[in-house]
Amino acid sequence: MSDIIDIEPKDAGHAMRDEIRQISDRHRARRQLRSRLMVILCGTALAITAIPLGLLLYQLFRRGLPVILHASFFTQLPQTPTLIAPNATGGVSNAIIGSLVLTLYAAIMAIPVGVLVGIYLAESDSKLAAVLRVISQTMAGAPSILMGLFAFAFVLQDLHVGFSAIAGSFALAVLMLPVIVISSEIAVRGVPNTLREAGLALGAKPHKVSMRIVLPAAVTGIVTGIILAISRAIGETAPVLLVIGGGYINSWKPLDPVSALPLSIYENAKSEWPSLRTEVWGIALVLVVFVFVLSLSARIWASRKQQAR
Amino acid sequence: MDQEFMSKVETKVDAPATQSTLDATAIPAPRGAAAMQLKDVSVSFHGRTAVRDCTFDITKNRVTSLIGPSGSGKTTLLRALNRLHDLTPGAKVGGTIMLEGTDIYRGDITVTELRTRVGMVFQRPNPFPTMSIYENAISGLRFNGIKKKSILDEAAETSLKSAALWDSVQNRLKVAASNLSGGEQQRLCIARALAMDPEVLLMDEPTSALDPIATLKIEELMTELKKRVTVIIVTHNMQQAARISDDCAFLLMGDDRAGELIEFDTTEKIFNNPIDSRTLDYTLGRFG
Repeated sequence: MSDIIDIEPKDAGHAMRDEIRQISDRHRARRQLRSRLMVILCGTALAITAIPLGLLLYQLFRRGLPVILHASFFTQLPQTPTLIAPNATGGVSNAIIGSLVLTLYAAIMAIPVGVLVGIYLAESDSKLAAVLRVISQTMAGAPSILMGLFAFAFVLQDLHVGFSAIAGSFALAVLMLPVIVISSEIAVRGVPNTLREAGLALGAKPHKVSMRIVLPAAVTGIVTGIILAISRAIGETAPVLLVIGGGYINSWKPLDPVSALPLSIYENAKSEWPSLRTEVWGIALVLVVFVFVLSLSARIWASRKQQAR
Repeated sequence: MDQEFMSKVETKVDAPATQSTLDATAIPAPRGAAAMQLKDVSVSFHGRTAVRDCTFDITKNRVTSLIGPSGSGKTTLLRALNRLHDLTPGAKVGGTIMLEGTDIYRGDITVTELRTRVGMVFQRPNPFPTMSIYENAISGLRFNGIKKKSILDEAAETSLKSAALWDSVQNRLKVAASNLSGGEQQRLCIARALAMDPEVLLMDEPTSALDPIATLKIEELMTELKKRVTVIIVTHNMQQAARISDDCAFLLMGDDRAGELIEFDTTEKIFNNPIDSRTLDYTLGRFG
């Protein structure tokens, strides 16, 4: 009795099983080959990206480090070298202060507006929101010299403010705005709806829900966007080129003409004095270190904040 | 309790249960004062009806459960009771819902006031992640402009005690709420709702994301809570409805995919001697 029941179906099953295994073995060998190939491809792509970046950083430190090790680099105003003292380039204290001032005022202008517009875009379905979204996306892709031209036409010509830090900050703020708007909108949209409902169900008015529940929950994403915007703005030459006046003074006042690190790079690189052209590496190094520290501290802060939850 | 319930059910299996010619929803049952009254309540989204024809009274200081298979409109109906559909584009609530004699959609009551009087606990624990346990507990009061520390402190303690959470958290009130376990988070959400001292507490499958022990704790809590607040709970779990609720509304999806009220009565009657045969089929697990 058991012969008939046991053997026949089992055999059929085994035949099928063996075939499946054979096919899958062959298939696995092919897959492993393909997998190895992909790993090699990815590694090559990584190398293509990393090698130029590594070379760039290497050159930057090799040539820039000696420049910034001179005490005068950070503390003195720029000097024009003379035939008697061809290496007397002074320092770039005005550009360092100028860059900080420009970014600070630009951040003060762009952050509140950008974050609020971002929240509005995320929380509203209105036509206005749709229009604002298209505008910010277009602005984010616009060439940065355009912001400079706009600041020149609006602040300098229409408002009759002279070449000044505030005019440059305005241009940078316009540049930062779409970046902050877009990243804030994404961060606010990422806040789960259940939290909004929980707030509403406790009798909170919609604006309180936005400000007290949604905004704190989205803050890491928003701050990351702000840091990104600042990093982009501090390295921009084009928007400030036309409007800040390239002042040779150390000033924190918004109406004074100031210089900026990228502007100094641009001007020094055109100089006929080799010493000034060498100084460019130092300025570039300061700029890169500044952006690096900024984004690193933002990352550390964000990950701590995430862990605290 | 569970076994008791099951044995009751088993004795009923043989009983004839095909009397669906009677209109089950029209049977009035004698009970106490109504906390909320629903009359012909319907909810539609963009003109498509999700739930309709719901007429029943929710009695004060009792637990009323809404049961029925997925898509029968339990949650949709529950969310109409504190106007949570207001912000959903295209949502429309028909019929009348009365809270202590006031029409909550047309009467003299703001949506903010309504929601402070009708609290809600959601399916998944959703404490505010950026706030501490203490801040979560009193968040509703803060949103409504209460700043006095003595009131807030007292409300935090009372509500956390009512939610059976005080003993385990009183020494770590400043800790982020996300450090709590799922069950504790849900009890914190209950505390948060209770801090407003609501008359009615809506619970939308409050234990479906919790393990059995945490579920049991919340069920025990509900029995305690109904002394001071009227509880309306949506549940998928029929044993839970049988264990904890006093009254029970059974909803079912109709032919046009809109949920409708099939039967409303005391829980005992719904589970042991329902008028509509579909109710019995559902409570016995023949579909759903």
